[in-house]
Amino acid sequence: MELSSNVEDKSNLREIGKAQAENAISIRDVKFRYTNRSPYVLNIENLRIQKGERVSIIGPSGAGKTTLMRLINGVIEHESGEVKILGKTFDGGSKKSRGFRRRIGFIYQNFNLIDRASVFENVLWGRVAYINPLFSLIGRFCERDKQAALSAIDEVNLTQHMNQRTDTLSGGQMQRVAIARVLVQEPEIILADEPVSNLDPALTDDILNLLAEVSENHKVTLIMNLHQTDLAQRSAERIIGLRSGEIVYDSSQERLFNHVPKSLFDPEVTSLKMPKNRN
Amino acid sequence: MVDFIGRMFPPNTAVAKTVLASTLETLQMAFAGTVISALVSFPLGLLGAENLSPSWVHQPVKGFLSILRAIPIILLALMFVSTVGLGPFPGVLALAVHSTGMLGKFYAEAFENASSGPLEALESSGANWIQKVRFGVLTQVAPDLVRDTLFRFELNLRESLILGLVGAGGIGFYIQLYIRSFQYDKVATLTIVLLVIVVLVEQLSVAIRKRLR
Ligand SMILES: Nc1ncnc2c1ncn2[C@@H]1O[C@H](COP(=O)(O)OP(=O)(O)OP(=O)(O)O)[C@@H](O)[C@H]1O
Ligand SMILES: [Mg+2]
Repeated sequence: MELSSNVEDKSNLREIGKAQAENAISIRDVKFRYTNRSPYVLNIENLRIQKGERVSIIGPSGAGKTTLMRLINGVIEHESGEVKILGKTFDGGSKKSRGFRRRIGFIYQNFNLIDRASVFENVLWGRVAYINPLFSLIGRFCERDKQAALSAIDEVNLTQHMNQRTDTLSGGQMQRVAIARVLVQEPEIILADEPVSNLDPALTDDILNLLAEVSENHKVTLIMNLHQTDLAQRSAERIIGLRSGEIVYDSSQERLFNHVPKSLFDPEVTSLKMPKNRN
Repeated sequence: MVDFIGRMFPPNTAVAKTVLASTLETLQMAFAGTVISALVSFPLGLLGAENLSPSWVHQPVKGFLSILRAIPIILLALMFVSTVGLGPFPGVLALAVHSTGMLGKFYAEAFENASSGPLEALESSGANWIQKVRFGVLTQVAPDLVRDTLFRFELNLRESLILGLVGAGGIGFYIQLYIRSFQYDKVATLTIVLLVIVVLVEQLSVAIRKRLR
């Protein structure tokens, strides 16, 4: 039984082919604020992220890092300017379809798993976009979806814990489940919002390496919010600095804006040579 | 009063057959009333939950449920007895309507208590409303729904006594019959049986609820 509804996905693919195939994300003159009376939280003149890039966004608390990710993920709508994601243009107010939402995976600081469900269920339910909504009433997934879940669980090394309830896992294991759940979406972009700030330092490298590894294996564009500059340096190829909603630093531009706070971007960062090989 | 209680002893045990039949009827009424109410309350709860329905839907639904709660069950019973006649059927209807006022509200609150993070994650994976409810909300709150429903079943068992007094079936109906014909020993038997059942069901329900997590 074929339950997948990929019609939309195919048309999306065609669109990508036509548009600049290189950019995963292109943001121009975009402004965003949460309410009409509050100040702008995002004010981005120009940001392009190419397909397959591994980017880290850093910046002080309140800079708008999470907001930027939510904008890319389509949870919030921008006020003016142009947002182009995976070849699709969004000009505010346009709701993202199921088929489109599944092409962007989101990894959360606090994992956001369904506590009472097993590892397998949590991962399998990442396939929701592939199944007919009516079939989901009885919770049916087809063999292909189950296989996808199994291989994603294997990829994050949790096969032994497959039937364990996720509220009995350790933090590191929980984040692995979240990564597997995103992988079964077969995403083209993975957004990770402070994926390691709830984890023991010992697990930090573990999870960041896994993220780098899976994004490489699946040719996924990876964008991470990381609090610590040294982590960003170690795990990303490109670092973007955000402050008060504006992009104040971009390692790909090899230049430092003069108003960047010293505490955040010490001089070292400007002459940063990104390591080409990790692990 | 002393005389009344005095004449209840010793309880009459010759009414075993009536006891059995009316006990069964009471349990069936409470069960049917709870099941019907649960079936109606489920969609109402979804529509009444702030996190699942827009405010122009959940506000009127919540208002409707509170109106249902405000109607005394005895009034509902009298109304149904006068429209569909004596017996357990009007009792079941009264229980169902009355319970929905409470269960619908409890269900809505249970749905609202589902933590929003996992729901956002599902939505981000491409889930639509039905999928969000099925995988995200129900998985999270299933124990609460069972707890609420069991609790309502206990209440309905007790309420059914009052319903019998106005002719809507169950043990209460027979108690009221025997009171009118001054057979207080039989009243005693029925009352004791009812007490025992209520306590037993409550124990069972507590045991089940404890196991949920
Ligand atoms: N839902 C919201 N409603 C109103 N204002 C919000 C909302 N979420 C965030 N903000 C505001 O937007 C600004 C940017 O918040 P955001 O969460 O994007 O920052 P951040 O860079 O992710 O910070 P942190 O490092 O602390 O996570 C902050 O001033 C914050 O108060
Ligand atoms: Mg944040």
